[in-house]
Amino acid sequence: MALLRASGEHTGDDYDLSAVLGDSGKDSGIPHADVLIRLAETAIAYDDAATAAARAAVIERMGEAALVDAAAIAANFNAIDRVADAIGIPLEDEKAAVSADFREELGIDTFGRASLAAAAE
Amino acid sequence: MSTLTFDATPLPIRDDIAAALPQVWARIGLPGTWLTAQERVAVAAESRNARFCALCAERAEALSPYAVHGEHNSLGELPDDKVELIHRMMTDPGRIAGHWYEFLTEGGLPETEYVEIVGLVACTVGVDTFCRGIGIAPPPLPEPQDGDLSREAVGEGYLNRDLAFAPTLDPFVDGPLQKEFFPGGPPSAAHIRRALSSVPDSQRQFWQMATVLYMNGMQMRDFSTEYRAITHAQIELVAGRVSAINQCVY
Repeated sequence: MALLRASGEHTGDDYDLSAVLGDSGKDSGIPHADVLIRLAETAIAYDDAATAAARAAVIERMGEAALVDAAAIAANFNAIDRVADAIGIPLEDEKAAVSADFREELGIDTFGRASLAAAAE
Repeated sequence: MSTLTFDATPLPIRDDIAAALPQVWARIGLPGTWLTAQERVAVAAESRNARFCALCAERAEALSPYAVHGEHNSLGELPDDKVELIHRMMTDPGRIAGHWYEFLTEGGLPETEYVEIVGLVACTVGVDTFCRGIGIAPPPLPEPQDGDLSREAVGEGYLNRDLAFAPTLDPFVDGPLQKEFFPGGPPSAAHIRRALSSVPDSQRQFWQMATVLYMNGMQMRDFSTEYRAITHAQIELVAGRVSAINQCVY
């Protein structure tokens, strides 16, 4: 998320970070966000039919090489998220500081482990 | 010989992915640092099986997943503590808690084996997700190969026990593994880059995969150049969406 915002700052684009939370992404400001989000969602959800449709949409709009790279990113984060959470890796202080505003705004601070504390209250 | 190949797909799989992922997959079938080849393949198999577990489904719906008890639907090849680790990691990773890590490790699951299993589950998920994403079937499990465990231990003096649940290599201590894993010194040791480092071969195997699926650290922050067929923004959008679904704050 911080890198998404940083990439927009580099190009002068103001991306809507809430696209990662599950809307279509069409208003995110990121080209082809809708088909990329659909691919990401279906590739990690064991939904072969939906993934096939999402794959076709990415290829039609962006080409085969883009599909390969998008699938690779989805695969990497489906794996690395699990490593971070199983080992208990915390955000670095500097990353926490630069992401504090949008983590609070988007509700990311209530993800995962934080939800356990909320449920216990 | 790996059971993973991209020969049958008409898609333009990048050379680095086509080279690295079959190697990562084949290594699952080799004797590990602390787990036998049979155990390592069983971990990969159980990773794939976890999504069919009724207990995990019930826990995933619960506000307090640690209050839901029962038996996992497992393949029966691994002891309960290892199945518990694999299933939680697969089905509710975002709510893994420190007290649960302590429960498992104080109950008899060695920290070293815990970390090796985490690495194996991650490699299985990474390979399987990539295959589904590009439209090929996840590969058959590798055949377990004969051989001895490497037992490559990291001395306690090289570890940091304050960063995470599990111990990690301390980048502020001078040692050969620090030079290998954090060649740029402590600034190059992002927390996630330390995660599997207490079992060095798990670290090597995982990052062999992750570097080709994503980018290296320099590429990640070089917004002036696009290194992939999708832009930095598109990459981070996909990454962010997957991490949001997984409820991962990191």
